[in-house]
Amino acid sequence: MRGLREIDRILRGDVNSSSNLRERGIALQFGHVIFANILLAAFAGACLGVFGVANREEPEFRFMLADAIKVPLLLGLTLAITFPSLYVFNALVGSPLSVAQLGHLMAATLSVLVVVLASFGPIVAFFSITSTSYPFILLLTVAVFIVASGFAMNILWRTIVNLTIRPAPPPTIPPSDTDHSESVHALNPVGSEQVGSISPVVTNWAVVKVFAIWIVAFALVGTQMSWVLRPFIGAPQMDFTWLRPRHDSFFEAVAKAIRLLLFGA
Amino acid sequence: MILMNFVTNYIDALLRGATSPHLGNGSISVARGMAIVLLGGAFYGSVMGTFGGFTGDRPLQAIYSGTKVPILIMLTGALAMPSFFVLNTLLGLRSDFGEVIRALALSQTAVTVVLASLAPYTALWYASTMDYHAATLFNAMMFTVAALAAQWVLRRRYASLIARNPRHRITLRVWLVMYTFVGIQMGWVLRPFIGQPDRPVTFFREDAWGNAYVVILETVWIVISRR
Repeated sequence: MRGLREIDRILRGDVNSSSNLRERGIALQFGHVIFANILLAAFAGACLGVFGVANREEPEFRFMLADAIKVPLLLGLTLAITFPSLYVFNALVGSPLSVAQLGHLMAATLSVLVVVLASFGPIVAFFSITSTSYPFILLLTVAVFIVASGFAMNILWRTIVNLTIRPAPPPTIPPSDTDHSESVHALNPVGSEQVGSISPVVTNWAVVKVFAIWIVAFALVGTQMSWVLRPFIGAPQMDFTWLRPRHDSFFEAVAKAIRLLLFGA
Repeated sequence: MILMNFVTNYIDALLRGATSPHLGNGSISVARGMAIVLLGGAFYGSVMGTFGGFTGDRPLQAIYSGTKVPILIMLTGALAMPSFFVLNTLLGLRSDFGEVIRALALSQTAVTVVLASLAPYTALWYASTMDYHAATLFNAMMFTVAALAAQWVLRRRYASLIARNPRHRITLRVWLVMYTFVGIQMGWVLRPFIGQPDRPVTFFREDAWGNAYVVILETVWIVISRR
């Protein structure tokens, strides 16, 4: 499968090595990668749903089906919500990434996430079959998601730093001008054609900051989205539903706490 | 599809203009920028108006708010413009005024572009809470983020003006104060944008006239005196 081969390249660090990035940007077979991502996420979801099958008097296979749909949906919707503003702020701070490049970068990052998720799938399924503790499976799932996000974040981070490297300003400029304030961009145009001729490189930290904020936003939105899309594992005493009615949320709890803190009401 | 490409290219150029060394003044059209204010404002406004849900005549609120956000942005600018023109003339900056208007108009475009890109967050927020006040606060936050982000575009466009005459720095500050001052009252007069679920859907509130600042002071007073 071509998509899996592409993902293998991503995992090996072939796609985001700085030499490859400089030559070709992020070069992926986009459609194949997306397709493989969806399949892997669906597989990870199906493994999550095993708990619903193994820990009920009547095995509830619909949990596997529901989760196989919901995990890709969770990641897709979270990305859809956070992508537009990521692009806008990227462009605002002068990132070299175009919309298409940003799309490829996101596809590559999510590949790492879903590959790790899917690779833990059999373990989650194994524990789901052999243990009856709902809280244990819940925490295990959260831990697996955290580990997977950590790997994805790591690869995203390295790619961003590699991508935003640009040549340092020519030595004729006084050292006080080598910081990253906007006025530098305005006064000292630095063309990309100077790559190679000047050895010291600086990273465009504004872009890195935008991505740092995006990672936080992605985590928050993802948390809330998983809340909206629950149940994933299904508490054993509760019947199967595709979705639970909307009430209360992660954010609402935080808002309530803040209100309580500030106004005591 | 061609239109879509056109819009995205324009937006890309506008946003990247905030940091690029050459502005390419000819390529960015103000008229198109205004068209994007209409589109982007309508998009954010219609998302903003969905708080009450989609039952009964509630979808109307989305349409109303979608109409009102572009009006809010453009009318505020139009109201503040005459006095700003006079101020610029008094400070001897009349010859730059064309470029000034361009800078201001394009930063309005940037505000709406950022606002539109934040609309999905607002939608998710609405999907997660029934609390009207939290929704109000969240929208205020989104407007603040958009306004702050657009400062990049504005500052970049003002940089050459300021380099020519430092007085532009003063007028820029005056503009920001004036625009915010008028804008807050405009937002108050044009309400409802979000639409309190227990109140009927209307284009304007019947008790629309009133003063935002007085209301804010009253609210503060209520909070203080209750203590």
